[in-house]
Amino acid sequence: MATIREKGYHHWEGQLLEKGRAFWPITRTGIKLAFQRKYFKFIFSGAFLPAVVYAAGIYISERLEDFKFMAQGAERTLQVDPGFFKSYLSLDFLFFMIILLMALGGAGLISDDFRHKAVQLYFARPITKLDYILGKAGVVVFFVGMLTLIPGLILLIIKLLFSGSFKFFLQYPWLIVSIIFYSILLMVFFTSFVLLLSSLSKNRRYVGVVIFALYILSDIAQGIIYVIFRSPYSALFSIKSNLKQVAAGFFMDKLPYAYPWYLSLIVLLVFCFLSYVVIKRKVRGVEVIR
Amino acid sequence: MKSEILRVFSFYFFLGKKSTRTKIFFVLSLVSVLLAVVIRVYRLAGHWTESGQVVFQNFLMVFFLQFLIIILALFYGTSTVAEELEGRTLPYLSSRPIARAAIITGKYLAYLSLTFMIMVSAVLASFLVLNLDQDFRLADLLTVIRYSLVLLLGLAAYLAFFTFLSTWLKKPILVGLAFGFGWESVIQYFPGTTQKFSVAHYLKSLLPQYTTSAGKLGFLFIRLEPSRPAIAVMTLLLIASVFLALASLIFSYKEYLFED
Amino acid sequence: MRAVIEARDLSRWYGNVLGISEVTLEIQPGITALLGPNGAGKSTFMKIITGQLKPNIGEAMIYGERVWNNRRIFRQLGFCPEADAFYEELTGFEFLTGLLSLYGFRQSECRERAEHVLKVVELYDVRHRQVRSYSRGMRQRIKVAQAIAHDPEILILDEPLSGLDPLSKRRVIKLIKEFKAHGKTIVVSSHVLPEVEAMTSEIVLIHQGKILARGDIYFIRELIDTHPHMIRIKSPAFRELARILAPEDYILNISFNQEDQSVIFETHHRDRFFNRLNDLVLESDLKVDEITSPDDNLQAIFDYLVGK
Repeated sequence: MATIREKGYHHWEGQLLEKGRAFWPITRTGIKLAFQRKYFKFIFSGAFLPAVVYAAGIYISERLEDFKFMAQGAERTLQVDPGFFKSYLSLDFLFFMIILLMALGGAGLISDDFRHKAVQLYFARPITKLDYILGKAGVVVFFVGMLTLIPGLILLIIKLLFSGSFKFFLQYPWLIVSIIFYSILLMVFFTSFVLLLSSLSKNRRYVGVVIFALYILSDIAQGIIYVIFRSPYSALFSIKSNLKQVAAGFFMDKLPYAYPWYLSLIVLLVFCFLSYVVIKRKVRGVEVIR
Repeated sequence: MKSEILRVFSFYFFLGKKSTRTKIFFVLSLVSVLLAVVIRVYRLAGHWTESGQVVFQNFLMVFFLQFLIIILALFYGTSTVAEELEGRTLPYLSSRPIARAAIITGKYLAYLSLTFMIMVSAVLASFLVLNLDQDFRLADLLTVIRYSLVLLLGLAAYLAFFTFLSTWLKKPILVGLAFGFGWESVIQYFPGTTQKFSVAHYLKSLLPQYTTSAGKLGFLFIRLEPSRPAIAVMTLLLIASVFLALASLIFSYKEYLFED
Repeated sequence: MRAVIEARDLSRWYGNVLGISEVTLEIQPGITALLGPNGAGKSTFMKIITGQLKPNIGEAMIYGERVWNNRRIFRQLGFCPEADAFYEELTGFEFLTGLLSLYGFRQSECRERAEHVLKVVELYDVRHRQVRSYSRGMRQRIKVAQAIAHDPEILILDEPLSGLDPLSKRRVIKLIKEFKAHGKTIVVSSHVLPEVEAMTSEIVLIHQGKILARGDIYFIRELIDTHPHMIRIKSPAFRELARILAPEDYILNISFNQEDQSVIFETHHRDRFFNRLNDLVLESDLKVDEITSPDDNLQAIFDYLVGK
């Protein structure tokens, strides 16, 4: 005779399996929540515009004969070389769109958890602080990667496909490494930037404004310092200028500012490291009120 | 109504003084003082010949005019209603015997006072740092007062606009950012009357370095076809009044629901 | 006598979601409890009568005047919202004096009132601590304090006992009853039945935006004709008792509980049943240990009305 089971609570008789990706649900949820925000999808789609334009540029450069009637001297402007990829990955518009997306979708990553006292819920589970930070970082890495690494690699593939040979790849074998490493730098920098600011406030609105404000302020500071000191090192004060300088270094292109590009790299990496230290300190399961 | 506005003003001025946000912005405004100190040290080392007046007018005012007043107004203006909704403290206000229009006006005046205090202390401090080595002249004091008043007008206009956005839109920050750092920057490059569709145009019309040839520093400034000072002042006051009135009207009749 | 609070055909939607529907209610001085599960419409009703929301249909009036955007009324009104929301950077004292100043009281009067009400809610010792450092119960008490500090005629309290320990709950209930003794009008909402029973017998049952029933708890019970009364009798001779009463025409159902030696009778005619029971006990040797009505409380009434 079959056992009749009562409708009641049953202790789960399965096995608890430990998985090594505790941060992944946090990242997945963060991405989902970002897409739920109004206008985010719209702005995110708009951020792919440069990639589309550059892809068209590659196409036109391969079909220059057909388009010669449209532009005189086009062969000079549409030369697809490492500088072409560098210019896409360090485009002002791209940086602006990343900042805008982060202000919209990334500002609340940690600040919302502080506001709603949800950090305790995370640390009541077998999640380490590193898992939490990686989980949140994963969201920014995803979006920045989608706008930098993926289009960068796709543009390279398009170039190889349209040119019909591996000549370009053999000519610049290091290019793929440059694309990957520079994209990683962008991902790491913007992740540090956004998470640092998000961890400093409970209000996502403030964080969004400060993300924007600091980005713009750094440019203004560079402008003022340059006029005073007339020194190219004033670029070290600007987020955008540092990123462009490092891009030129990675892609072996002409440096926009007359100083070694690794100085900009050091500034960015030091910023990332200090951000990590601050974030680690700020993220706590318990709020201490004095 | 006047007494209600005053009550709200007192409450939010007190609250604003205590808030962390005000302290952070005060520190941010000190960036100008830091720059002034750096310039001063540089001058002392003999590397810079421009006078403190010129430096103040042409550099630091860029920081104040094109960055600080916009950020302050954006932050405080868009918070007017948003912070009450996010913090769910709106019932404390709307269940008190105060006209809804008085709530908006009182908060606006409180935030205007706070932001002006932040601004003017930075202006004074940076001006003093740059001009410490010079004899005191009445003209210098009048310069500082003039710049402070221009910044006050700018704050009043921007704050009123962002307060209006706060009462009207659910997420005023995006539009505020687009206006403050997008529209206001871009429109000034347009010739003719199109420039007049920005607050920055009228502010720059009131400052001498924008309306006369600025010599070797002229490359810093975009093309300006200034309006007459009286027109500029009236327009700025009109912008502030109109948007404040609109904000009060919207707040009086609109319902605000918490995001549940 | 004109009602203090009147609601006529009040309806309110949030998009497609119904908040309240065709609520018509008059509230007199005294304590009236709004009772219903979460999402029933209690908070929506309270928000309408405190001017936070406009009704889509109908009107809400206090002292014969429309509530929406009518600041004259708010001088007489004290509202304790449900949300745990404060100006966190203020101390408890500053929070109260600040909100009191919005009524137009002089600074000295604000201070006096704040100090008095802080003593009433027993937060006087921690008045100079920031609200953000208060415990859940302290935060709830300061919220109640801001509602009563200006001595209003009408108190609207949305879940005022939420988060309080039993001792604090008793104190707040006592406070509410004191208000009632002074002739004030209090509207309290709760979904915790014993709390409501401890405060008042005048209840309004709300469910899915509609008023299910209104009045004295016992009166409401009487109204529920579709559901017979249940009477539980504990006796060593419970089966014998059942045998004697079973032929009576007003007994609808009998059930036994062997474990605690009791029998439950269901009947529409409580009075006739108890008269017969009294006679039985006097005439015979039947010993009765306990008589209770399992369904003579709010939970049971509520369950009946919502069809559980």
